[in-house]
Amino acid sequence: SGGQLFTPGEAAPVQAPVGGSPYYGQQQQQPEYINAPGYAQPVAPHGGLGYSGQPVDQLTNQFQQMGMGGQKQQLYTTNLLTSPPDPREILTGPPEINLPPGATLSQSPFVNAHPSYQRCTVNAFPSSSSLASKAKIPLAVVITPYKSIKEHEEPVPLVSDMVIARCRRCRMYMNPFVSFIDGGSRWRCPMCSLVNEVPQMFDWDQTNNQSLDRWQRAELNHGVVEFVAPAEYVVRPPQPLAYVFLIDVSHTAIQSGMVATATRTIMESLDRLPNQDGRTRVSIIGFDSALYFFSTPPGVEEPRMLVVSDVDDVFLPQPHDLFVNIVEARAVLESLLGRFNDMFKENHDLGSALGAALQAGFKLINNTGGKLIVLSASLPSTGPGALKNREDPKVFGTPKESQLLQAASPFYKTFAIECSKAQVSVDMFLSSPGYQDVATLAALPHYTSGQTFFYPAFNAARSEDAVKFAHEFGEVLAQPIMVETIIRVRASRGVRMSSFHGNFFLRSTDLLAMPTVPNDVSYTIELEVEETISQPYIIIQTGVLHTTCAGERRVRVVTTAIPTTSNLSEIYASVDQVAVATYFANKAVERAVMYKLEDARDLLHNKLVEILQAYKSSMTAAGAGASAQLAISENMKMLPLLILGLLKNVGIRQSAQIPSDLRAYAQVLLTSLPAEMLMPYIHPMFYSLHNMPAECGTIDEQGVIMPTPLPLTTERLERHGLYLIEDGQTIFLFVGRDAVPQLIIDVFDLPNYETLRGGKMTLPLLDNPFSQRVTAIVAKVREMRHGVYYPHLYVVKEDGEPPLRLWALSLLIQDRADVLPSYQQFIGQLKDKVNGNSY
Amino acid sequence: MNFEDVEERDGIRLSWNVWPSSRIEANRTVVPIAALYTPLKERDDLPPVLYEPVTCKPPCRGVLNPYCQIDIRGKLWICPFCLSRNPFPPHYRDISNTNLPAELLPKYTTIEYTLSRPAQVPPIFLFVVDTCMDEEDLKALRDALVVSLSLLPPYALVGLITYGTMAQVHELGYAECNKSYVFRGGKEYQPKQIQEMLGLTAQNRAAPRPGQPMPPQAFGAARFLLPVQQCEFQLTGILESLARDPWPVASDKRPLRCTGVALSVAVGLLETTFPNTGARIMVFAGGPATEGPGMVVSNELKEPIRSHHDIDRDSVKHYKRAIKFYEGLAKRASDNGHVVDLFAGCLDQVGLLEMRSLANSTNGAIVLSDSFATSIFKQTFLRVFNKDDQGYLQMGFNATFDVQTTKEIKVSGLIGHAISAAKKSGCVGETEIGIGQTSAWKVNTINPRTSEAVYFEVVTPAGQPLQPNSRGLIQFVTHYQHSSGQMRLRVTTIARNFAEAGSPAIAASFDQEAAAVLMARIAVFKAEIDDSPDVLRWLDRMLIRLCQKFADYRKEDSTSFRLSDNFSIYPQFMFHLRRSQFLQVFNNSPDETAFYRHVLNEEDVNNSLIMIQPTLMSYGLDSAPQPVLLDSVSIKPDVVLLLDTFFHILIFHGSTVAQWRKAGYQDQEGYENLKELLELPVRDAQDLLTDRFPIPRYIVCDQGGSQARFLLSKLNPSTTHMSGGLYGTGAGAGAGAAIFTDDVSLQVFMEHLKRLAVGAQTN
Ligand SMILES: [Zn+2]
Ligand SMILES: [Zn+2]
Repeated sequence: SGGQLFTPGEAAPVQAPVGGSPYYGQQQQQPEYINAPGYAQPVAPHGGLGYSGQPVDQLTNQFQQMGMGGQKQQLYTTNLLTSPPDPREILTGPPEINLPPGATLSQSPFVNAHPSYQRCTVNAFPSSSSLASKAKIPLAVVITPYKSIKEHEEPVPLVSDMVIARCRRCRMYMNPFVSFIDGGSRWRCPMCSLVNEVPQMFDWDQTNNQSLDRWQRAELNHGVVEFVAPAEYVVRPPQPLAYVFLIDVSHTAIQSGMVATATRTIMESLDRLPNQDGRTRVSIIGFDSALYFFSTPPGVEEPRMLVVSDVDDVFLPQPHDLFVNIVEARAVLESLLGRFNDMFKENHDLGSALGAALQAGFKLINNTGGKLIVLSASLPSTGPGALKNREDPKVFGTPKESQLLQAASPFYKTFAIECSKAQVSVDMFLSSPGYQDVATLAALPHYTSGQTFFYPAFNAARSEDAVKFAHEFGEVLAQPIMVETIIRVRASRGVRMSSFHGNFFLRSTDLLAMPTVPNDVSYTIELEVEETISQPYIIIQTGVLHTTCAGERRVRVVTTAIPTTSNLSEIYASVDQVAVATYFANKAVERAVMYKLEDARDLLHNKLVEILQAYKSSMTAAGAGASAQLAISENMKMLPLLILGLLKNVGIRQSAQIPSDLRAYAQVLLTSLPAEMLMPYIHPMFYSLHNMPAECGTIDEQGVIMPTPLPLTTERLERHGLYLIEDGQTIFLFVGRDAVPQLIIDVFDLPNYETLRGGKMTLPLLDNPFSQRVTAIVAKVREMRHGVYYPHLYVVKEDGEPPLRLWALSLLIQDRADVLPSYQQFIGQLKDKVNGNSY
Repeated sequence: MNFEDVEERDGIRLSWNVWPSSRIEANRTVVPIAALYTPLKERDDLPPVLYEPVTCKPPCRGVLNPYCQIDIRGKLWICPFCLSRNPFPPHYRDISNTNLPAELLPKYTTIEYTLSRPAQVPPIFLFVVDTCMDEEDLKALRDALVVSLSLLPPYALVGLITYGTMAQVHELGYAECNKSYVFRGGKEYQPKQIQEMLGLTAQNRAAPRPGQPMPPQAFGAARFLLPVQQCEFQLTGILESLARDPWPVASDKRPLRCTGVALSVAVGLLETTFPNTGARIMVFAGGPATEGPGMVVSNELKEPIRSHHDIDRDSVKHYKRAIKFYEGLAKRASDNGHVVDLFAGCLDQVGLLEMRSLANSTNGAIVLSDSFATSIFKQTFLRVFNKDDQGYLQMGFNATFDVQTTKEIKVSGLIGHAISAAKKSGCVGETEIGIGQTSAWKVNTINPRTSEAVYFEVVTPAGQPLQPNSRGLIQFVTHYQHSSGQMRLRVTTIARNFAEAGSPAIAASFDQEAAAVLMARIAVFKAEIDDSPDVLRWLDRMLIRLCQKFADYRKEDSTSFRLSDNFSIYPQFMFHLRRSQFLQVFNNSPDETAFYRHVLNEEDVNNSLIMIQPTLMSYGLDSAPQPVLLDSVSIKPDVVLLLDTFFHILIFHGSTVAQWRKAGYQDQEGYENLKELLELPVRDAQDLLTDRFPIPRYIVCDQGGSQARFLLSKLNPSTTHMSGGLYGTGAGAGAGAAIFTDDVSLQVFMEHLKRLAVGAQTN
């Protein structure tokens, strides 16, 4: 046998599985339904959401299809009962935006913001509120204003001449959709129609001192553009970046290895912390029942520890030297980080004065702003913000459960608002072995535009835990954060921002305050048609006024133009089901926390039924009558499965088994992940590895070639197979109980299935092509999306420990699980409801 | 009876050495029966007594002494205090008239027992160091502290608290780096909070794993108080890197200095970890407390620190609260046997007046210096650690001081640095003088200088016939922790005869020096409570009554007034006491007053007399050095004067000598006698400095120089600018210098006294 192909019989003389089923490496028949109508388009095999790394020719293609000629979106109705969902559908982009002729004079394919920055639930906007309510499609815009830029991606163009043209009335920023009049000396605002003067220097190339072809200006050609801001946008001189690490040093934290891992990661990340201006400063505060400050006076090589036990009335023990410049004081900082864990290795204190630590950190940076990074392994137990262990498994699954998902103390929100005002963000890395009250603690990152990370049962003695923690923490540290940020989303007259979801503090009716902005976090804003829109298209524009971590004041402007329509079918044909699902994720969490989990599930169910009913009555011949079909437009075909995924997500699912910390963390993810991460989180990806095509796991010019994702059902599992299931947070390698020894040898370097242990694992990189392909695929899963997450890899044996197996299989959402219906049952229920008169 | 011999033997001086036999008669003798007792008076010939004392049955517990009646045959002894018969312990069975244990030998009316059970904890020294001072001072202080470490016994425990805007307790037992616990300067911490914040309670801790003992160093006092030999390196390192308080100070502000919080943390730390054992909290203050509890003055420079006038007018904002705060701390410290020493290194006041209760009630030292860089501070501080011949620190700890009397006399009280041990025994009298209502006191540290004044009253009603040879007994029992770790018991028993009313023996037994000092202590005790004019009137009244009782005179004829020798200089002591800084406070700052009064209450008769009436020696070219009158007449151009006020030692060159000296004659051949004249007082001054605590301020000045005012202020103004020369010599050349003062002179004072004593008209 040569290459990666071999016969199990030759490799090991065990009985082939019954029926001699094909195993990995062998071409398999495409499932029947892949050839169903509407699926003729080949799907790019290289993974991702399909839009993150689109090559130019593809974009050009899209541009041509965009049809500036005002081409309307064709509506294709499909019957959900007979056309099973295809996971590849989620990877394709939203329906095109077909702007009317003359909406822009730019020839650029980038005039509209790429959906990874900003996407609307509909790409043809209802021109009246009555039409909107008839369509039942929620109107919302999902923004990810600070998406990270991967190597092969285009950076955001920069306009550095400080000429920022804005509408005098509605303050819209210049964008590709303005029209110039009066010989180009004035421009009409596409949002409010006001005619504005073109700024003097608009057509002048200041670098080369010559006149400029206006249409070369980036803001007229790009939906995403960044302006260097002139003085009037600068509130105060850029402050030095400040990171304060609040490290839990309790017995628990030390024992779990969190402290050692965290300090090692900080040490290793010192060169990755943003520090273009050489002013970045770091402070480290330890806490248990007391606070431990470290003073490093200039010229002193050893840090001094200052203990403040007065946690009810916290104060800084020194006026200065509690911060170090990471360049100037490198030696003392490394000395501190190097011995930090040892300093507390005998600590027997079990308390946590997290609130006091936060207040102390805040005192350090309240006049410069910056980041407080909490690394905590305990439930705050003393001082301000102390919490009680309120976890109560008896209320799981009951209406009282949502109380556990609400903040237990007003401290964190109140403190967060104080932080927000002082330009301070808080990140939480939570790793308690017991209950930590994620629901309460997450309020702090939530209102300060920070992030929460959760590591249940963290134990650094397991290298997988240490690696994941160090990777994610390290990535957060390396992020080129935006600071002192405010975001305002504007839209054309007639469209109103009605509600806001995500991590920020809403400073006035529509101003999102964000002390620092991390990469790859989404915000969802609900829209309302306030008055009938006469314009042929609307503009949705997000202005992000911020300071780069290099100290430059800038405005990032993200503009999307969407045609308006009075035609219901055009609305349906333009629905972006990914954006709709993102909206629903936010809405469901909001409902779950404010009311009950059951209300959230009802909401999802009812809204979906409403959409299907509306579609049926207005788009199908059946009208209000009963129908044997369940109709939806082709572009929304995945929506029921995405909703089912939400209903089965840990954050929403009906269950009496889910610890509230896990629920709360899932809800954190549901309300902050960008679509690219959120989709697998509610609709996991499922690949068969043992029989994947030979090119899968090898590299082409697009990177590692991924197998075709399978429908999320155990029907696809073969007893001798090897599968990968992942939701962006966790990767499962599912091994069938009849997996042949050679497979186990090749992948795990173990003699046979029996010797394989389930659980967290680091795959060995072995000297055989199959091992290399599998590890390449696992690596690709970990890095293909934007974001810091580094999913754990669990090996799951088909007959292994039930909890792990059930967890892995719970990702196969098309199957029935306990009281939760299978996809078929769900569709059946929907059909009954749609046909019934209850809605 | 030679008073000095008695003092040598028993460390005691009594105002009266023969006692009136009834209460009424005792009242008529005006000066109460009182003792100035120095419990640890050094006595080289004391034998080592390595057994437990034999004591009377409870509650008496009188200690066997040479004045006990012994029944050799019956093997029993009769307690002179309660008259109980006590059998001797079995091992005394062999005693006979010729074979007596030391405590029964007449020469050992004072004896010291070394008890079998040693102290559980070595002595503890907790430094509380101000860091709000300039670099030079701080460096000098750091150096002195480092030196002091080498003077401590290696087993002594040491700790360090530093303070400025905040207070920091240094965890000397922490090996990884310098570590300290920080307390907010502006906050009043409760004792329980301090315990918790220092982690001295074992709450909220992970239990040790089975089979794994909790590391003993991980919590508790051992982290903060370590044997010198174990932490000297680390502590030296911390001291050497001690920097000035880092908080900024505006030019119109004083630094924030939380002396009160630092002290309350120190007291809290010790009372939790080492209650009832010998410990010294040594405070080094570079300025006044300006923050938090115990603040003395605000940090606004425009608010001046209080003066006696301000206090008199009751216009000091923080005064009463600060007094109350420090008294609270003083009580907690003294109740636990702990000592607080106050070292001030500042040109201005540091608030000693407010803090004085700390040192007064614990017998701590108070040392005033202009800066920690002065030799006054350095030498005085190191003198605290003086050692005896065996190399043990000359300081005992956590002493209790018991007084036992026979039935005719009772204890009125004690004046000195002690607190009541609330022992309401049968020896307690009705009259209260000083700290009364008890016959025992706690003296938290005791050294060979420590002298306590104990006052007695005779309780026998008048008219009872006096038994022949009737005498009263007083026994002083001092139990203390020796710096070697031994517990020791010093016992002094004295016996004095009673005499009938009017017996000349009483008057002849008057020790006017002791009496002056004992009365001075009462006067100062009163002055601490009352207005000083009242105290002066009381002193005058007492003096007049004493003179009326004991002088010879014809009624209404002041010229006939005569005092016998052993009363003759008493009025003079009173004259100088009236004018002294102890009672005339307005020439001094409140801190100085607190300091002077504190020192007065520490010293024995001789030193106290120097404070009351300084000594003046005169050196001339032609005459041997001689003591001269403390009078302006002693100032002459051709002499050198050496003044010793105890607090100051001053060398004064008469104007001629000063000119010679300026011209440098003493360095020329042929003027060896001038050289000798200049050097002799300097050598004598050095001798005076040897034993003194605190080290006096040393001043060399010339007649007419500004520093000379120190001398002039002490002299009897017999030749003021007002008088025409009372002694007839006038203010002429060679006959003294005029002093610009309105004070009455001794001569005027004596004239008044005589007239009042004899009942003549005053004019
Ligand atoms: Zn406008
Ligand atoms: Zn007795």
